[in-house]
Parts: sequence; structure tokens; C-alpha cells
Amino acid sequence: MKARIPALASLAAVAALLCVLPFTLSDYNVSLVAQVGIFFVAVLGLNILTGYTGQISIGHGAFMAIGGYTTAVMSRDHNTNLVVTMVMAFAICFVVGLLLGLPALRLSGAYLALATFALAVSVPLLPLQWSKFLGGRDGVQTAKTVSNVWLYGAAWAVSAILFVLAWLILRGRVGRAFRAVRDSEIAAVASGIELPVYKTLAFGISAAYAGVAGSLFVLATNGFAAPDEFGIVLSLKILIGAAAAGLGTLWGVLVGAAFIALLPTVSSSVPVIGSSHGQDVVFGAAVILVMLLLPGGFAGLLTQLRRLKRA
Amino acid sequence: MASAATSRLEGLRDRGAALGGVVQPVSLLLVAAAAGLIVGSLRSAIFAQLTVQGLALGAVYGSLALALVLVYRATHVVNFAQGELAMATTYVAYQLIKWGLSYWEAFFATLAIAFVVGAVLEVVLIRPVLHRSVIAAVIVTVGLFILIDGLVNWVWGGDFKFMPSPFGTKIYHVGGVSIARLYPGMFVVVIVSVLLVWALFRFTKLGLGMRAAALRPAESALVGVRVEWMLAIGWGLAAVLGAVAGLVAEPSQFVLQPTLMQPILVYAFAAAVLGGLESPAGAVVGGLAIGISLNLVVQYVPAITTELQTPLAFAVLLVVLLLKPSGLFGHREVRRV
Amino acid sequence: MAVNRRKLGALLFALIATAAAASAAAASHSSTPGVTKNKIVIGGTFPFTGVASLYKTIPAAEQAYYAYVNAHGGVFHRKIKDITLDDQYDPSQTPGQTKKLVEKDHVFAIVGSLGTAPILSTWNYLNKRKIPQVLVATGDAYWGQCVHHKCPASKTAKPWTLGWQPDYPGEAKVYAKYILNNKPGAKIGVLYQADAYGQNYLAGLKTGLGSHKSQIVDAEAYNPTDSAQVIATHLVKMETKGANTLVIFATPQPTIFALVDRTAIGWNPLTLVNNVSANRLFELAAANAQPGADLNGIISSAYTASPTTQANLKGMKLAKKIIAATGNQQLEQSLAEGDANIVYGLAVGWTFVDALEHAGKNLTRAGLMKALRHLNESGKNANPFIYPGMTVKTSKKRNFPMEQLKLIRWSGGKTGDWHSFGKLYTGIH
Repeated sequence: MKARIPALASLAAVAALLCVLPFTLSDYNVSLVAQVGIFFVAVLGLNILTGYTGQISIGHGAFMAIGGYTTAVMSRDHNTNLVVTMVMAFAICFVVGLLLGLPALRLSGAYLALATFALAVSVPLLPLQWSKFLGGRDGVQTAKTVSNVWLYGAAWAVSAILFVLAWLILRGRVGRAFRAVRDSEIAAVASGIELPVYKTLAFGISAAYAGVAGSLFVLATNGFAAPDEFGIVLSLKILIGAAAAGLGTLWGVLVGAAFIALLPTVSSSVPVIGSSHGQDVVFGAAVILVMLLLPGGFAGLLTQLRRLKRA
Repeated sequence: MASAATSRLEGLRDRGAALGGVVQPVSLLLVAAAAGLIVGSLRSAIFAQLTVQGLALGAVYGSLALALVLVYRATHVVNFAQGELAMATTYVAYQLIKWGLSYWEAFFATLAIAFVVGAVLEVVLIRPVLHRSVIAAVIVTVGLFILIDGLVNWVWGGDFKFMPSPFGTKIYHVGGVSIARLYPGMFVVVIVSVLLVWALFRFTKLGLGMRAAALRPAESALVGVRVEWMLAIGWGLAAVLGAVAGLVAEPSQFVLQPTLMQPILVYAFAAAVLGGLESPAGAVVGGLAIGISLNLVVQYVPAITTELQTPLAFAVLLVVLLLKPSGLFGHREVRRV
Repeated sequence: MAVNRRKLGALLFALIATAAAASAAAASHSSTPGVTKNKIVIGGTFPFTGVASLYKTIPAAEQAYYAYVNAHGGVFHRKIKDITLDDQYDPSQTPGQTKKLVEKDHVFAIVGSLGTAPILSTWNYLNKRKIPQVLVATGDAYWGQCVHHKCPASKTAKPWTLGWQPDYPGEAKVYAKYILNNKPGAKIGVLYQADAYGQNYLAGLKTGLGSHKSQIVDAEAYNPTDSAQVIATHLVKMETKGANTLVIFATPQPTIFALVDRTAIGWNPLTLVNNVSANRLFELAAANAQPGADLNGIISSAYTASPTTQANLKGMKLAKKIIAATGNQQLEQSLAEGDANIVYGLAVGWTFVDALEHAGKNLTRAGLMKALRHLNESGKNANPFIYPGMTVKTSKKRNFPMEQLKLIRWSGGKTGDWHSFGKLYTGIH
């Protein structure tokens, strides 16, 4: 109980900081911090799946695509309220995630990695096939676009809600079941946990989070959804964000999201590596270094620092 | 101890079987498919043309798939950077030729460089995370993917380059079929390389050591196999096969550019899974099957457009994973607790 | 333990605050964004890398022209600064890069940005903010059709967007005319890009063929990222459907693939290539790629002067001088070998500076648009880089700055060149 008070205090500090930021930052930087919020949601979702039930997914960009196109198409065709489209993206991706979670039951490790990779590569090709409805290469434009401040507010409000939701889910019975599945499936079954239920549930929740992130992601590109936005690199980024955050913890997610959202932008303004490919080099190298040097991600780093202090 | 040794031997025999002999129904299927292709080619010039092209491309998929399988058998890692590594080594060949080497000098120099790079990557980047988790190793290869892609773009630029083709510009005309010498050339180079790697595994002491290290690391170490060396060599050989894939893929794309291997990697994954992630022969056959069938399906099945080629390859991948996760050639893997 | 977290929070805050301060300092305080007493900042998005990177000499040439103007005193003593960003011809990257230009670099206008899909992905954003998006490097009819009212591509008018080059449907109609006159019974196979750019070309060809449009026996859509094999698949399909005429509506890289594929599969139809891929450099690339394309007799069109066959024109001499002044030897060599895109870039730069001069000393975004909607580059004020005798003109009734084309044909094989022939087509579209 005692440990929780400082934790809550730092949470409040982060929240307060986020409330103040839009008033001090330039419009462009507000949009950058909004990006962090969007990736926060996606990484949080993947963390529930990979970090808590041990199922890898290289396909979360596909769920973001589904969520993003939900928002774009609903707004284009029916001028639906954008917040409503986010809820729809959540619901649709939850169902799709559950359905895809069923075949995933049979797979694990490298095989699951390949299957989800297949998903990440294939889904963005579908708008090209059904170009009448999904716009093809010309993309889909929402009827309404939003300002950077609107986006910032939406991204962080959604982040806060989904963070609390994740915390509520993971602290209880479901969370214990998830962790049991990760640590040993056989032991989990032996202790009466219904493996299929919890594994697919984790897939559904995780996909739903990615869906909402996708919907915000489309709003961040001026309401324009196009296939290449959701390419394989996006899926890889989310996975990297989750790994950098530290799988199986919620606290590192903020740093993990900032890592993938800001590093490319920050490194592009450093003169020597300023080219668009210099940032890829920095990003790739940073990913490898984080994996090699920080086994527990940023969350693990914090724990280590804490231990050092005590010693 | 005795039982461990016996099971080791059995295991090795199993591998040999997977390399040489083929499971019965699957071999029947392959013979039937080959017969179908020959009949079709005799009846239609276009069919023949597509088959030859598909065979050449399939060989490229197969050789990259084989590289993936070698890495997977050695370290149980799916190397997402395998294609980019192959692309980067092709740029090395481009640079060597630009510096004045002849094509084939550059070809073999590149293979040597690829071997060293592959082995070093295993030692420096993969080994430290290997004991941790599959996910950690996968993410390191993903980071490597981004890093290599960025480096190549940085050093050579993203616009495309021209390399001399080792196969010349000759186009054969056989009974109404036009076939650029390129395609049979690609096929031969890949198949020769694959056979050499196979011979290395099958007939040399090093090959035996590598198979043993991949299969039973602990016991192999007991009988004096330097397991860590073997894993590194496995990665090196995979990089060499990848380099071959890159070098022959380049003339088939007419130009060299950083995206050279990305579509090929996608099909190589499908090929590796189709054949069974642990089966080298399966990877090559899987590559050929995917190369030919994709080329033919798009031409003859109206509902399958070129946009659906990749999703189709992956649909195959998913179905195989779900129905027979060990692939057409693999052996059922026992799930370890 | 919480101390660490707080430290981290403080660190994060410090980082962000620094970034904010830096960008605030860079923000301009003039009433018209991007315009100060001695500077005009403009920007554009181009494919420096990726599938359409063969176009990257266009922004280089535009910058070379601005450098030339700056060296001669600028426009009303203002030097032009052109910030160009890479969007890889990928419409999903253009919005982010355009946003950066507008919100971070505070550009006065987006000038010359390239690609139909990239423009479509950003014109809502720019028109809503009343930021000029002008002289875009794409020839879709939208840029002329959507000025005052809604059109097929947009529910609202787009008065802040303006094209420059002859429009694609009009160009396709010229090809249709050529085919009907020279190969009346032709069975036509069309290779077109699977987006608005390709579809507009295809629609133009159908309109141009009129009652003969059933002569199109196969129209195959490709994607810009398709490999040479996929392009070959499309050509084989056309061949099997009996096509004896090939029309290529494609960007440079797929065009090169198609030209080589055509030879590799042993097919030799009458071939027409759209203007954006008719650049001597690209055709030479196709001839030199393995196994090498056979190019003689291929037809296309031009509206800029040729730096090789018309090297003696005043404008081409000027072009050589301007490019030489950049000190960029690669660019110089490209021009010498006949890179039409360099001439294109110079011509666009010329029109932009022409408009700036007419917009007057008190430069505003609306003033620039007004000048651009009343262009008259003919006679003494003729654009020196376009095909001799053509004019660049806009008015209340005319929203397409260029409406003329000349047909060209390739001869001379692997070391050959484009040669113009026939009459000057006027008033296309």
C-alpha cells in the first residue's frame, strides 16, 4: 500500500505535465506530443498481449489499419462524429482480434511471429484490391479534420482511459490468468485456467487498443487514410515500442511510446544524420542497443536504478 | 548417457531423411505437379514462359528461404533482417565491380564478405539475447532490418543503380517461346549453391558438427563439438545463401535498389513455412512451388489480381501453419514445457 | 524510488521545453508567413528516394533556378529559399511532411510538389488554411476543374491549388488520335497506374477513341511498387488477349520495367509512353538495363525544349549556364544527356518567379494566387525553357497554364534520342 502512494504521485505529475504542455508548446510540437499519445495507446495494447500473455504479434499495424479505415470511411460516407468512430474502431477491432486470436491459439513463438507478420503485410494491400470502397492508392479523406490541440486532447484522454482500463483488467483475476499463461501454459491449465478463453481475450483487447490508436493515427495525418501508412514498419515500430518499454509492465509504456514517436523526428534535426535515412540508422541502432543493454526495457532500467540506490 | 547418444544418432538420421528422402504422399504430389507443368508447357507457349520465369524466381525465394531455415535450425530465431542483409551484400558486389573487379571476382568476394558479416552478427548481436527470449531475438533482427536499410540508403542513395548482368542479354526463341538467358542462368546459379551447401552439411565433419550443434547443443558440447562456433558458421552460411539470392535477384529486377529483397523476403517466409521451418529441402521446394504457382495463378485465375498475390501467399502460409505447422516436409515438433 | 521517476519526468519536461523554445524562436513574426523584407520561404514535397526517385532532378533544377534569381538580386530584393522534403511518392507521407513545412518552417507557399496521390492527400489541408499549393508536378485535370466548384475529386472547391503542365486526359486524347490515324484497327493494351493518375489517363484515352474504345482489348492496373516480374505478368496478359499496341501510362520506373519486359518476352507492339516517362535518361536506362529494351519507334509527347536536340536554343544555353553554376556535376551531366526533368524544373521555377514579379512588392498569399491566375508567358515574356512556340497562360476562363503538346518519336537505338514530329497540338483537354 505504501509503495502505491509515490506511484500515484508520479502518475499525477505526468498527468499535470500533459495538461500544461499544450499551453507552452508550439502548434507543431503539440502534434508531436500527440503522436506520443497515439503510440502510447498502441504500445499499451501490444504490451497486454505480448507482455502479459507472452504471445508475440508483428501484426498490430494491421489492426491500426482496420481502426483507421473505420474512422476514415465512416466520416467520409456518413459524416459520423469522430469520437463515435473511435468507439466503433475499438469494437470492430475487438471482434476481429478475437476471431484472429482463435487460430493463434495453435501457434506460438516464431510461428506466431510469422503468422502475424503475414497479417501486417497483407491487410494494407486490401484497400488496393477493393479500391472503390477503400479508396485504393488515392486513400480515403475524412469529412472533418481536427486541429493539433484537439488531437492532443483526444490522444491523451484516450490514453488515460485505456490506461486505467488496462490497470483494472490486469490487477484482477484476468491479469493473474494472463500472467499464468505466459509463465507456463501447462501449469496454467493444470490450475484450472481456461487457456483458449484468456488467450483469445488478450488478442481481442490488444487489437481493440490498436484500433483506437489507428483511428487517432488517421486523424493525425489530416484525416487521410492510405495503405502505406500502415505498412510493415508501423507494426515493427509498435513491437519495438513495447520491447523498449519493458514487456509485462505498464510503467515503461510512456517512455517506449516516446522512443518510437520522437526518436526519428529528434534525430532528423541533428545535422550530420539529418537525412531521412540517417534517422533509420539511428533508430535501428538504438533498437538493438536497447535490446542488448536493457533486458527489461526502460521499466527494467528504473527497477535497476532503484536497486542500485538501495545498495 | 547411452540413451542420449542413441537419440542423438536417431535425430541425425531423421535430419538426413528430411534432406534426402521425401515423405511419400508429398513426393507423389510433387511428381504430379511437375508432370502438369511439363504438359502445360508443351501445349501453351505462354504457359511455358511463365513456368520458366516462375522456376527462376522460385529458386531465388527458395535460396532465401533456405537461409532462413539454416538460421532457424541453428538458433531458433526467425531472422527478419535476412533479406536486407542479402540486399546490402548485393550493394557490396556493386561497389566492388565499380572499383574494377570483374563480375565473378566480385561475386565470390561478396560471398566471402557475407559469410564473415553473418557470423559476426550472430556473435555480437544475437548471442547475447539468445538465452533471453524468442521475442528479444526477433526484435534485434527487426532493429537490424531498419539499420541495414538506413545504412544502404545512406551510403549508396535510394535511386537505382545498374549492374552488369552475368547472364548477358541473349533471348532464346524455342518454338514460339521467348526466354531470356537470365532465367535459366538464375536457376542454375541458385541450385548449384544450394547443392554445395547441402554437400557441406552431408559429407563433411564440419557439417556433421553443425547439424549436431543445432539439434542437441548440450550433448554435442560433451562430445567435443564447439557449439558456439557452429552456430556462428550457420549464420555465416545463411548470409552466403542470402547473398546468392540477392545477386541473382538483381538482374531479374533489371536494376539495383534498396527495396530489392523486400517482396522476396515475404515469399521466402511463405516458402520456409510451406516446407517446414526446420527442413532445408522443404524450403527449396517450397520456394519453387510458390514461384511457379504465383506466376501461373495470376495469369489464369481472373479473380486473383496482382494485388492479391502477396495476401494469397500468406493465406497459404496461414493454412499450412494451422493444418500442419511442421510444414510439408517437417517433423512434428514436440512442445517443450 | 519515486525520486527517480520524478527526475525522469523533469528530464522529459526539460527536453520538451528546449524543443519548444527552439521552435518558437524560429517562428516568423511577419504578417504573411514565410515572407520577410529580404526573404521568401517556400517548400515542396518530392520523391528523393523510393519508387519515383527518378524525378528528383526536378526540385534540384527548381532550386538551381532560384539560386540564379537570387544571385541576380532576387525578386524585389527578396531571396527565395526553397525547402524540399522527401515523401517517397507515398501519399501517406505527404501529409506529415507538408504539415512540417507549414507548421514548423512556416512556408509562404507549397510550390511544385510532385504526384497526383500526394497532392490529393494534402489539398484539403492546404486549401482550408488558404495556403497556395501551386505549380504542382502532376497533370491531372482536377487542378483545373476544381477551382470554383466541386468536382469528381473533391466535395469543395479548391481555389488555392494550381497545376502547370498539360493535363493527362488531354494528353491521352492526343495519343488516341495518333492511333486512330496511323493504326486504325489497332488492338490496344493499356498499362496504367492503379490510382487517380492512371485512371484519368485511361479515361482520357477512352474519350479520345470515342466509338473505337472497344479496341482496348485489355487494361491492366499496376502499383508503383510492383517489381519487374509483376509488370511482365501484365504485359503477358495483354499479349495473350491479342493486343498489338501498347500504351503505357506509368511513372518512370514501371515504364522502364515495361520497356525491358516487352523486349524480354519477345513482344513488339506499337508502343506509346506518357510524357512523364519520356525522358532520354529513362529510355537510355531501359536500353542499358539487362536484358536491354528495344526502343526504336516508341511514341510520346513533349512540351519542354530538348537539351540535346535543341541545344542551340537560347533557353537551353541558359539552362546549361544555370545548372553549371550549381557546381553539381551529376546534375550537369544529366542535363547534357537529355534529362527533360531538369528543363521542366527550370521552367516551373521561371513561372513561379514570373508570378512573384507580377504579385508585386507587397507579397501576400492571395496576391500570389491572383498573379498565377493571370499568367501570360508569350512573346517577349515567353518562358525560355518550354518548347519553342508554346505559351503558358491562365485567365478567368482558363485554369490550365499549359495546353499544348508536340508528339515525339525515339530513333537511334541504344544511343538514340527523342525527335519531335507532326503538328503542334493546341487546346488539348
